[in-house]
Amino acid sequence: MASTPPISSPGSDFMEEFYAECDDHLVEIRRGLLRLEEQLGELSLDREALEKIFRSFHSLKGICGMAGLQEAEKLAHRAEDYLRALTRQEAALTEGGLDILNLVTQKLEEIIIQRRQGRPSPDISALLEQVAGLNSAFRDGTSETDVPAAGTHYPAQASQQIRAARQQGKELWLCEFRPSPELDQRGINLNSARAQLQGLGEILHAAPRVEKGGELVFAFVLASEAGPAGHHPPQAEGIDFKPLAIAEEVQASPDAGPSTVTATGASTFVAPSHFVRVDLARLDDLMRIMGEMVVHRARLDEALGRVSDRLPSADTRKLHEITHGFSRDLRHLRDGLMRVRMVPIGEIFERLPFVVRDLSRESGKKIRLNVKGQSTELDKYLVERLKDPLLHLVRNAVCHGIEESEERSAKGKPEEGTITLRASTVGETVMIEVADDGRGIDPVEVAASARRNGLQVPDDLNPAELLDLLCAPGLSTRDEADLGAGRGIGMAAVKGAVLDLGGEMELDSRPDQGTTFRLRLPLTLAVADALIISAGGQRFAVPQGAVQEITTATEAAINRLEKNEIVKYRNGVLPLVRLAAVFGLGAESRKEFPVLVIGTGLNAVGILADRVLGQREIVVRPVNDPLLKVPGISGATELGDGQAVLILDSASLAQGARARQRQATAKSL
Amino acid sequence: MSQTNNQTDSYILFELAGTTYGVRSQEVKHMELVEQITPVPNAPRFVEGVVFSRGQVIPAVNLRVRFGFPPQAHTTRSRLIVVETGERVVGLIVDAAREFRNLPAETVQPPNESIGSLSGKYLRGIAIVNERLILLLDIKEALTFAGSEVFDEEYPAATAAASTAS
Repeated sequence: MASTPPISSPGSDFMEEFYAECDDHLVEIRRGLLRLEEQLGELSLDREALEKIFRSFHSLKGICGMAGLQEAEKLAHRAEDYLRALTRQEAALTEGGLDILNLVTQKLEEIIIQRRQGRPSPDISALLEQVAGLNSAFRDGTSETDVPAAGTHYPAQASQQIRAARQQGKELWLCEFRPSPELDQRGINLNSARAQLQGLGEILHAAPRVEKGGELVFAFVLASEAGPAGHHPPQAEGIDFKPLAIAEEVQASPDAGPSTVTATGASTFVAPSHFVRVDLARLDDLMRIMGEMVVHRARLDEALGRVSDRLPSADTRKLHEITHGFSRDLRHLRDGLMRVRMVPIGEIFERLPFVVRDLSRESGKKIRLNVKGQSTELDKYLVERLKDPLLHLVRNAVCHGIEESEERSAKGKPEEGTITLRASTVGETVMIEVADDGRGIDPVEVAASARRNGLQVPDDLNPAELLDLLCAPGLSTRDEADLGAGRGIGMAAVKGAVLDLGGEMELDSRPDQGTTFRLRLPLTLAVADALIISAGGQRFAVPQGAVQEITTATEAAINRLEKNEIVKYRNGVLPLVRLAAVFGLGAESRKEFPVLVIGTGLNAVGILADRVLGQREIVVRPVNDPLLKVPGISGATELGDGQAVLILDSASLAQGARARQRQATAKSL
Repeated sequence: MSQTNNQTDSYILFELAGTTYGVRSQEVKHMELVEQITPVPNAPRFVEGVVFSRGQVIPAVNLRVRFGFPPQAHTTRSRLIVVETGERVVGLIVDAAREFRNLPAETVQPPNESIGSLSGKYLRGIAIVNERLILLLDIKEALTFAGSEVFDEEYPAATAAASTAS
């Protein structure tokens, strides 16, 4: 379609101003669209960004109309409609919608440029269709007015049928059926209502809806042949009939706010409503409560043990069954909670293409980002901790890895550089790769830079050493300067994060071919439930799994047999291990001690502590140095204050005690 | 390990009981203040305990005790020098540390025979710079302890427990 004659010829002052203003609006739109791109996966969009884009399209529409650029005006108008629906949350932003907005913006730029150069406008009919498609999906009717389509919306197919029916002169009714026990008793239910309606006409649309008070309503759109003079609503028991008109569509469900349930088989533009966004802190809370429940269960067991002598065995059996079931359910609950914490790594991967787009545009490089394995699931905590490191690695690949297009062509490489993000699980480990096909890391350069900073560097650097250099934060006495290839201090943080998570990092780099960073992380942190106890003034963690029950022993009840101490337990005796004594720590003098029973039956051993402080979920850190290979300790953890807490190896403690017990018994026989 | 005369190694220097020692800077990962050491029962006496360092649990070795000096309470100048040798990462507790110095090979002499055989094992060499004596530490040796002969004297509680177990 040709433009109508312009108000002034191209190049005039007025037009220059016009072009400048268009530019402003287009930049504003571009910026806003980028912002929206970042938020695509999330359930709520930046309202400010939406408003800005909306206003920009609105203004563009106006000035383009004035300057006689009709095509631009039309496009801007359509985009404005879509944006309006977005700001009112009548539609949700999808990747497709965003793409179309980007295309519209591009097309608008094109139109204006062509105009400026005095060339004919490009064809917009195809794009207009696409935007129209966007808009009709959430709004019924082809009205170009600003009537807000608040409330019910119908999927594209239904809208078309409704329009068609109207055109055919049929009558359209909104029929509502509210199920209730009374109606049900009279044999009037959803199926019978539907059957009745089918007898009256054609059902064009059906959807359930939840009213403000929580009431469930089934709404049908019925098309019936126009009756003779007078439009009387049809009758059917239990169903309310209202004429369906555009204005009434608006009023039909005035209270239908966010609680509206849209039709099944609805358009693809409705945000997935079967996901819940959960604050990680709440999940942590739940885990903590779980932990407390585990302790309570242990105490229940113990109390049960105490009274079981006085109860008939049938009752004790029953009670044990119940606590077993309880304990099993607790375990399932805990496993379920852990699963809830698993999220696909796609969460972080999603944001990165836009970062790459930003950066490559800024640097003028051509870069493509490939993402693989987005559905690989990790503990949410891991994912949170990996956000910054991955961002840093990707940024480095763009800024320092990939060369400019000319350099790449000169090397015989495709002009467009490729960065690949890949995640996969191998057994209990997750592997994440950030690879680029750029210039690689030059070990000579890195070594030279390191030496300049006073580091001693061997002439031959293997990949591990190279990585160390790249990640070396330097000592506090030295400048924390860039260690070569521009990778800088951030790499130290990347390595730090990976180490903190119990993982490792690998570097594979080839000059002119590219660089790959490989991160290997444990899939879930080695996490265990543990009882926190104190003995001899020091805290220790005892893995829950090994503890059968927690009982108590009074000093008076403890008997000595040779060098061993035992206490009466159930129908036998329990050899005791006094932690404070075994560890050479000063024991507290107490009348009563908690005893953690390890093992069952004849193998049971009791570990005597000073106090049980609580139960916690701990992250197990290995303790591997030969200097730390001491009996009874299997690792360490940290309870939130940075202080290391040793983890007991209850099995070996128990074994030692049992051995002593056997000897003593053998001797006494 | 032999050194050619042209080589210059860089060292981190630290103070211990009035003497200056040096460790090769390439063996040093980082330095921290001495905080929150958790004692490890039945560990050798010179192992003051464990600390968390960059997500890892490492032993904190009290070098004073290791070298037979009278132990001293930690001061604000005390430092934990985290070193790496082979696969091992260990923290060394020293009285003070801040200097970083290049020591040309000419300044370094092999450890003197007359220095006691036990301590002598821990030294790679002695550097004399401006009339200042710097003892260069062999970390690997310093962190290796022979098993049993040190056992009885160094961790009595475990010895007692072990003997009742056998």
